[in-house]
Amino acid sequence: MATPEKVDVVIVGAGASGSVFASVLAKAGKKVVLLETGPDWQPSDLISSDFWGRRVKPAGIPFLLEGKNPYGYAYQAGWGVGGAALHYFANFPRYLPNDFKVKSEHNRGLDWPISYADLAPYYDRVAQEIGVSGDAKAEEIWRPKGEPYPMPPMKTFRNGQVWVKGLESVGIRTVPAAVGMNSVQFKGRPACIYDGWCHVGCPIGALANPVITYLADARRAGADVRALCTVTRVLTNEAGTKVAGVEYFDAKKEKQVQEASVVILAAWAAQNPRLMLNSSTDKHPKGLANASGLLGKYMMAHYASGTWALFDEDVEPHMGTVGAQYMSYDRYDKTSKKGAFGSTYIVAGTALKTSDLGGFANARLDLFGQPLADFMQRAKRGITRLTAFGEEMPNIENRIELADGKDQFGMPLAKIVHSFDQDAVALWNANFEEGLTIAKATGAKEYWSARGNQPTIHLFGGTIMGREASDSITDSYGQTHEIPNLWVAGPGLFPTEGASNPTYTIFAVSQRGAEQLVSKWGTVAG
Amino acid sequence: MSEIERRALMKGAALSALAFTVGGKEILLSPRQARAENIPFRTLTAQQGEILEALGETLVPGAAAAGIANFVDQQLSIPPEEALLEARILNIRPPFANFYRAALSAIDRASLASNDNRAFPQISPNERHDFVDQMRQNKITGWQGPPGPFVYLVMRSDAVDVVYGTMDGYSALGVPYMAHIAPTKRW
Repeated sequence: MATPEKVDVVIVGAGASGSVFASVLAKAGKKVVLLETGPDWQPSDLISSDFWGRRVKPAGIPFLLEGKNPYGYAYQAGWGVGGAALHYFANFPRYLPNDFKVKSEHNRGLDWPISYADLAPYYDRVAQEIGVSGDAKAEEIWRPKGEPYPMPPMKTFRNGQVWVKGLESVGIRTVPAAVGMNSVQFKGRPACIYDGWCHVGCPIGALANPVITYLADARRAGADVRALCTVTRVLTNEAGTKVAGVEYFDAKKEKQVQEASVVILAAWAAQNPRLMLNSSTDKHPKGLANASGLLGKYMMAHYASGTWALFDEDVEPHMGTVGAQYMSYDRYDKTSKKGAFGSTYIVAGTALKTSDLGGFANARLDLFGQPLADFMQRAKRGITRLTAFGEEMPNIENRIELADGKDQFGMPLAKIVHSFDQDAVALWNANFEEGLTIAKATGAKEYWSARGNQPTIHLFGGTIMGREASDSITDSYGQTHEIPNLWVAGPGLFPTEGASNPTYTIFAVSQRGAEQLVSKWGTVAG
Repeated sequence: MSEIERRALMKGAALSALAFTVGGKEILLSPRQARAENIPFRTLTAQQGEILEALGETLVPGAAAAGIANFVDQQLSIPPEEALLEARILNIRPPFANFYRAALSAIDRASLASNDNRAFPQISPNERHDFVDQMRQNKITGWQGPPGPFVYLVMRSDAVDVVYGTMDGYSALGVPYMAHIAPTKRW
């Protein structure tokens, strides 16, 4: 077994959060190694095709899926550098102040150990760093003032515009959606051309995926990105007081050890606890940093209530971006829907392709044969969708735990146990009802709910942040309470999930954590 | 991307044609061409291919000629991390062939049991439609295999893929494709 030279930092996972840490640390002069289980994708690999776009997603994962609402990971998961953010929609809504104080304000869920004010400067910094288009001033009807975005809002198209009147009819205001895309040229990257292939990866750099932003910066600063390297265990010193590095299997499936002064787990909200559980020792018999017993607990997912509408007019369904043109927080109060609890975040206007999970052939899953062919002809000019995302409260029963069976590297499989509670089901249903009311008010020729099994979107929790080792795994920066040189990054840190797309917040939390690590490097790594 | 990764992933990653075996040599063909040239299946049996083709045509008119059976068969013959099947994003655990074999066997058994011992490809188009409608709603008595509604979803997705998901499919429907990086073949 070869043992490469010890480095300052080894980061497990080259996705959204790992890339931010790599960029900040490498630019601060640290010797950084990123170990990524998937390939080292290049922008030129991002072919505009729903078939070929599936390559940047995992083909099976070492997790068993259990519970009433098993977590459907594959469409939204990453495999390779950039992680899920290689093919994300780049919707960049922020969390709002009420997301950070759910326990204090409602005696439900959990509080974050930080407030919106703590994170706001990092939202602004990320926007300037990688580029956000939108109208920050307009958003201030819902949130505290902040810096303007560096780019004006994106173009809108009829497939988004047709929803505005319907939303207004029920008192829902809209503003231009904040997105991590270029409405104009930004830092040498071109403006978006609105061709709707965001979900298979944007090869021109108009969409801010980590490969062309943070990870590129990290590489320029000397970070070593090792693809097809799968970490199986975090190694500790004999006393169990520090981590010493990681064990991993390289591209040739040979076992290696990478020693490091600091280990940052940025693999995935489910994979980080799996690794920490699999790294148990006699000093950490329940897994690393798990004195609280909360490692792997409080997994959460978003869900969406979609409403389809079919218009006689040509709404150009193929035009735009896959994310959103308009957004609204007017249903973001946790109690905005009677009989339910949790925030709702609403978006309108999305480019639609024909096939794949998000394609309009799936708008009427009940149709097949000639009726489907007829529907495709009707829909190709007139179809559009409204989406309301809902929030799930943290539930300790939704969890990651090791399972029987092993993966190809001999590492135990894990299971993701997930069920929505009654509040989440009630909010999902309420959002469908309101979606139909909105659609009716648009004057659409036909409209219907996109009902099916309640979907699971995004993944949070498992390594939640908090104030004490007794109630959480890490502090607000991602530093584990028990092992000072073991850090965790990504949405696994979130004690609650809000209802809006999380990646902007992942970037902001990671930026904050990475800067903290640099500032206290001597005490962490010494 | 390193050479080892390139080998690990796929030959001709930028191509939309797939590698089919003809006379012991691999050639690049679209699934439609492979079907027209009667390329032998690699993973499925001829009977399974017939069922898949008949099912695909029932789900989406044009799927048989578009080569749904050749497409799925070729995809099942390559490593799962190279596969382009929608099974990949529907949380089916590799190897994907296990799912397809189980699903096609379930359809075969159910058709024989409910259609006077006639296999699915032998029943009439109307009977196929009714069968699929029952399968979609999980109403087939004695069904043994992956859940019928899920089989419907996966196979319908494959049929939609080969008919509507290609550049030619977009063109036929009249929807602009607008590629950044176009597949170099239009299948």
